[in-house]
Order: sequence, then C-alpha cells, then structure tokens
Amino acid sequence: MPAALNDTPLDGIVVVEYCRSVAGSYAGRMLALMGATVIKIEAPGEGDPLRRMPPFIDWAKRSALFDYINVNKSSVTLDVKTKSGLALLNELLKKADVFLDDTRPSDRKTLGLAPENVAADHASLLFASVLPFGAKGEHSDYLAYELNTLHSGGEGYLMPNGLALELFPDRPPVKIYGQFAQFVGGTSAVCAIISGLLIQDVVGGQFLDISVQDANVALSCFNIQRLGEGVLENRHGRSFQYGGVLECSDGYVGVLTLEQHQWEGLVKLMGEPDWTKQEWLKDPLARGRRGAQINKGIRAWAKTQKVEDLVIKGQTLNVPLAKYVGPDEILVADQTKARHMFAEVEIPGIGKVPMLTAPFQFTTPAKLAAYPAQPGANNAAVLCELLGHSRAELDRWAAEKVV
Amino acid sequence: MENKPTIKKPLQGVRIADFTVHAAGPFCTHLLALLGAECLKVESTRRVDVFRKPHPVYGRMEAASFAQVAANKKSIQINMKHPRGAELARKVIGISDIMCESFRPGVMDRLGIGYEALKAVKEDIVMVSISACGQTGPERNYRGYAPLFGATGGLGTLTGFADGPPVEMRHVMDHGTGLTAAAATLAAYFRKKRTGKGQHVDIAAREVATSFIGDALLQFAATGHSPGRQGNDIPGMAPHNVYPCEGKDMWVSIAVAEDSEWTGLARAMRREQWLSDRRYATGAARWENRRELDKEIGEWTRTQTREDVTALLQKHGVPAFPSYHAKDIVEDAHMLSRGAVKELTSPKGEKRLAVGAPWGFSKTPASIDTWTPELGEHNRYVFGELLGMKDSEILALIEDKAIY
Repeated sequence: MPAALNDTPLDGIVVVEYCRSVAGSYAGRMLALMGATVIKIEAPGEGDPLRRMPPFIDWAKRSALFDYINVNKSSVTLDVKTKSGLALLNELLKKADVFLDDTRPSDRKTLGLAPENVAADHASLLFASVLPFGAKGEHSDYLAYELNTLHSGGEGYLMPNGLALELFPDRPPVKIYGQFAQFVGGTSAVCAIISGLLIQDVVGGQFLDISVQDANVALSCFNIQRLGEGVLENRHGRSFQYGGVLECSDGYVGVLTLEQHQWEGLVKLMGEPDWTKQEWLKDPLARGRRGAQINKGIRAWAKTQKVEDLVIKGQTLNVPLAKYVGPDEILVADQTKARHMFAEVEIPGIGKVPMLTAPFQFTTPAKLAAYPAQPGANNAAVLCELLGHSRAELDRWAAEKVV
Repeated sequence: MENKPTIKKPLQGVRIADFTVHAAGPFCTHLLALLGAECLKVESTRRVDVFRKPHPVYGRMEAASFAQVAANKKSIQINMKHPRGAELARKVIGISDIMCESFRPGVMDRLGIGYEALKAVKEDIVMVSISACGQTGPERNYRGYAPLFGATGGLGTLTGFADGPPVEMRHVMDHGTGLTAAAATLAAYFRKKRTGKGQHVDIAAREVATSFIGDALLQFAATGHSPGRQGNDIPGMAPHNVYPCEGKDMWVSIAVAEDSEWTGLARAMRREQWLSDRRYATGAARWENRRELDKEIGEWTRTQTREDVTALLQKHGVPAFPSYHAKDIVEDAHMLSRGAVKELTSPKGEKRLAVGAPWGFSKTPASIDTWTPELGEHNRYVFGELLGMKDSEILALIEDKAIY
C-alpha cells in the first residue's frame, strides 16, 4: 500500500453503513473518500434496491448512480431481521466507530436497532441516523425520495427561474438534476459524523439525528430571510431581472452582470449597438425595472453568436459569462485534467472508465480504490478475517440465507 | 448520573480566522460556528461583506441575508491595504486553528497571508480556500457566481424541461459549496488533531456542482450516452412528478419506485383497476405510460389540498410531500419541534426568523447562541484580550486605519 494512503483524514475509522437511501449511501461515499473503511450492509440476494436503479452502464444492468455513490466500500450481505443476522451486525458494530443507518424509526424498534438499545450495547459508537425528515418529529416515519425531499426544503418550489420559466410559465416546478437534495443530506451527515468523531474520546458515542429536509432548508436560508423581511419568494419573483440563460447559435451561456463595470463590459461585448446607448440604461435601478426590454435586445444578439467566441471575449472584458457544458465536455476539459478530477476505475466487462473522485482536494489526494462489487463480495473478508468466524459458520449462514 | 461531558459542543475550543465573503465561504464557517467553533470574521470598512446589505425600506438598518450566516460569529476589522494589515492578519491566524478564505487564487499570497507564509507563522494551520474553479489549473482565475458554477459544472445544463433551456442554479449552489467545504474542513481538522499536521484544503464551486452529476458522468464515460435534461423524470420511477393541488401555485410531489408503492397509490386513489391494467403492470410499463399516469393523477390531486394528498398517500406507503414555500417551512410543526427553524430575539428585543442547526446531537447539540455581530464589535476582545495588545496600541491602530 502506498504510504500516502495512510495519510488520509479518516484513516483507521470504521463505518458500518446500513443504508438504502441515496443520502445515506452518499455520506458513506464521502467518508470512504476521506479514508474511512466503510462496510456496506445489504440484504442477502439482490442487495441494495439502488443497484437496480437506471440509468444503467452495461447490459448486466449496473446502475450508474449506485456505482458512483458506493465506490471504495466493502459489501457484506446480512439479513438483519434474523437473530443471527442481528448478532453479526452487533459484532460488526463492536469494531466500528460509526453506524450509518437510514432505517425508519418505527422499523428500528422492530429490528432491535432503536437508538437506546444500540447505545446500551455500544457506548462509544456514533449512531448517525440519516432520514428524509429526521428521527424526531411528526414526519419522522414519512417516506420520501429525492423529489419529495427537494420540495420539502423550499428550493423545489422555486425552480426554474428565468428563461425556462418564461417559456413554460404554467408548468409545475422542475427539479434540479439527479439527487441534489439527497447528496446535500449526505454531506450534512458527514459534517455531523466528523464532529462526533472529534470528541468521541471525551464524550463517547452519541446519537446524531440528520434530516435531509433540515439540510436543504439550511441551504435555502436566504429564502427564509426574505420571508422575515416580508417577501414570500416564488419562481417568478426570484428570476434575475435581465441576463441569465441565453440561447446562442450553437448552445447556451449564462451571463450575470451584478456590477456597473460588468454591464459596461457586456455592452462592449455586444459591439455597442444603438439600443444600448439610451440614457436610462446607465442607471442600474432603471435597468432592473425594465429588464424585459433589455432581455429582448440581449437575446436577439445572443442567437447570432457562437458560445466559444462569447466565452473567450467575455473573459477579456471581465463579463461574468459561462458556457452551459455537458458531461462530454467536462470529461475532457483542460481544467478537469489539470486538477485530476477523475480517476480511472476498472469496471468488470467494460474496462477502464473515468469516475469523478471528490468535490474536495486535500494535500493527499482522494483515491478510487475499489469499484463496487457484487452484494456480499466481502463477506468472507469481513465476517471471517475481521470478526474471526470460520468458513463453516459462513457456509451455514449462507445456507440459512442470513448472509 | 453518568459522567457529564465537559464538552458542550463538538468544536468547542476551535478557533477560525474567517476571511470569506459573499455566500459560499460564509456558509461554511457558519456551519462550523453552529458546531461551536469561535469564528472571527475579518472585514474592513474598506471592504465590507456585500451580504451585509441594510434594508432601510423594511425599517431594518442591520444586516439582511448576512444575518443567516453570521449569527454565531465575532466581527473584527483589519484593513489589508494598510502596511500593518498583513501583520495583524497573521497575528489573528497565529491564534487560530483554521483559516478560511474565498478570494481569487493568488490574492492571499499577494496580501502576505498565503499558505506558505502562514505555515511559517503556524505550521499546523488548516487553511481552506473556496473559489470558483480551484487553486490550480488554467482556469483558476475565472470568477463566477452560483449560476455560472452551475453552468460550467454541468448541473445547470442537466436541469430543466426536456424541451427547454438549461436552468440557473441559485444560492443553494453557493451554500452547497459551503456545506462541502465544511465537511472537508472538519476532516482536515480531524487529521490535524490526530497527527499534528496542517494542510491546505482546496474547494472549487464548479467541482461541487459537477459532483452532483457524478452518475451522469459515469454513464457518459461508460456508454457514450448522456442523460440530458429530463424535467421531473427519474428513469425507472413512475409516476414521479409534481402535481397541482387546490389553491394558486400549490403543488404536491409524488414519487413511486417500488411495486408496493404503486399498489398503495392505486388503492389510495381508489383506482384498484390499475392493478390489473397491462399498461401499468410493471415498473417499465408505468415508465412507458408515465404521461397518461401524470394526467390522471393531476386530475385527482387538483381538487384536494397538498396536505390531504400527502397524509393519505403516506398512510398508504407512498412517498409524497407538499412543495413547500418559505412560509410553509416556518409554520411547519415538525420543523419547529426540531428547532430547524426558529425565531430569534436580539438583546434589544428585535426579532428575526432563522434557520437552526440542521443536525441533532444527543450529547453536544449545535445551536445559534448570539445575534449578528456589528462590524468590528469584537475588535477589543480579539486584539486586546486574545492578542494581548494594550488599549493605547489598539486605539493607535484604529486612528491609523489599520484596524478599520
């Protein structure tokens, strides 16, 4: 093992992850990339239902989402509903620093995983509960996927703004791509978990109640602030008065001129057409009031332009302007390569494929070490080598469908 | 009684020198302050954080959006353009464990407080830099706002209706960057606590945006196919949409993945016939016929309140929740019982709405403890009490506009 691997922030920390939600699994991914040993517990047989979530990356129906958020983990299958399964989980928790769990509070009681039971058996363990609405409160047993949690946090109601909203004013709100709210919940969980680890030697274990909704409301705090000032934000009221998404001849750019000199730069970028010479346009407040009129001019001009030309000229004129890029461009961008954002992983049957490592850079770079294998791929390594059980026991549990 | 922990908060005793401004950086240090860190926010009259916007129109002369990310912080003034500015900054950093900043790459070096200079003052400092594109690479100097990171990071590109344009990401993008930075800062501080080693943590807002489309990037890399914009669709889930309810601009989100959820939905809607309908027999079939389902469900929800639909569907095991606006959030009994939103009162009796700490800790709860600091409110505490400067010395620095 290269020496550098030992220098990761969470080296030596053991996390047992019993999660089926994207939020919980994403927290596990981040902890694994920070150097923790993450053991994922899945149901025997088909494993985590997320494994069957499209989009797929091959004919064997490997899920892109599952693989992205479960890299660098070991997989152990355990039927926690059986007595032997629960006993094995408890043996694992004895070796762990963190128990990352997203079981519904009512099911925890049934399974014998109520926080007070776990605390009684494992005094120094951090029980990190990651649930859509948290472990306490009247919605704690509510079910939710990404779409529901995004809307529970306030941002779902406020999307889209700008051009998309003008084109389709009567459509329902549109979600942010993918699993935004869930990843936010998972990242929030990581904050709580490392905070607990920092003082674990003094205070011992504790129960961490992480709510995906709370995390998303925190992100949307300016929305709450506006309400305190008497303004209830909605999609229409929140749109930028002018600028935003512009359609060019070959794609889209975003432009945002918050400061006077940036607006003047944009006028230069447009080649100072006659309409920009009107006196009222010099006043930022007047521009705000007559944004629709400005948009007409900017949008007509943008349609005749090529994206790359605007990006290059925009930078020299200090106009905040950016291209809306897709996955294809991100993978090959010079900035991406210079910063080693991706690392190659070996996917069985496909070969080497680049995968995004992490949205943070430490002195010791995060490494993608283990591509997600089949459910239970690490049963022997964990149950026999780590916990000291015999192969015979493992075979018996397999026959009983405990593992 | 068990041994009562003497530690009240996870980051008790941890000090942060906070040079961040705007949204992303201050959100990072706000979270760390909620966790108990003593956060010294450094500003100057020359360069006040623009998010300290007063709103005289509403009768408030104090900070506005700033208040949401500054409540637990202490405010000090250092004029970095003054010849003694860098020296004062280094002193403050010298008594801190963590330093956060959100300037353009290279600016801290020019000011004399870059990572190399700080290491000389305090070898084990954890320095956290939050920028648009990162500290390295050909585009490191690109500046940007949240919608622009959303564009160059790809998240905005994949967000939107399938037949429409991309969509701007707003403050949640800044704050998502701050949240990621907070997690990374905690990890780096944990390593420092265990090994004594400091480091420079580099967070790029663009890369945080990109991390939210990691599955799409993997899909593209493996198959050559990118998902594109897909409105409210998530492949494999149907029905999966936001449906109109009684009232103006009122919506409910409903999401179905498993067969059990589908059965629950059909029963809740009293459409048991759907359970034997070939069009909806499997998840794949429901996905194929999702527009028909959307239409029927929308007609059913239209005459009901969001709350009624949610309660009924949850009872039947179907994930559903209203599309909450800000007022819904602050009036939600569940949120209030968790302390996730609350009303704060200033020492003078002013009130404001605040978002609380987003986590529950059974032994060491995070919380908002103080009111938004005024600019320079803690100059005397930091320069006098912590750094041991005499009153006369501080007054001279104020006179000379070094503390300004």
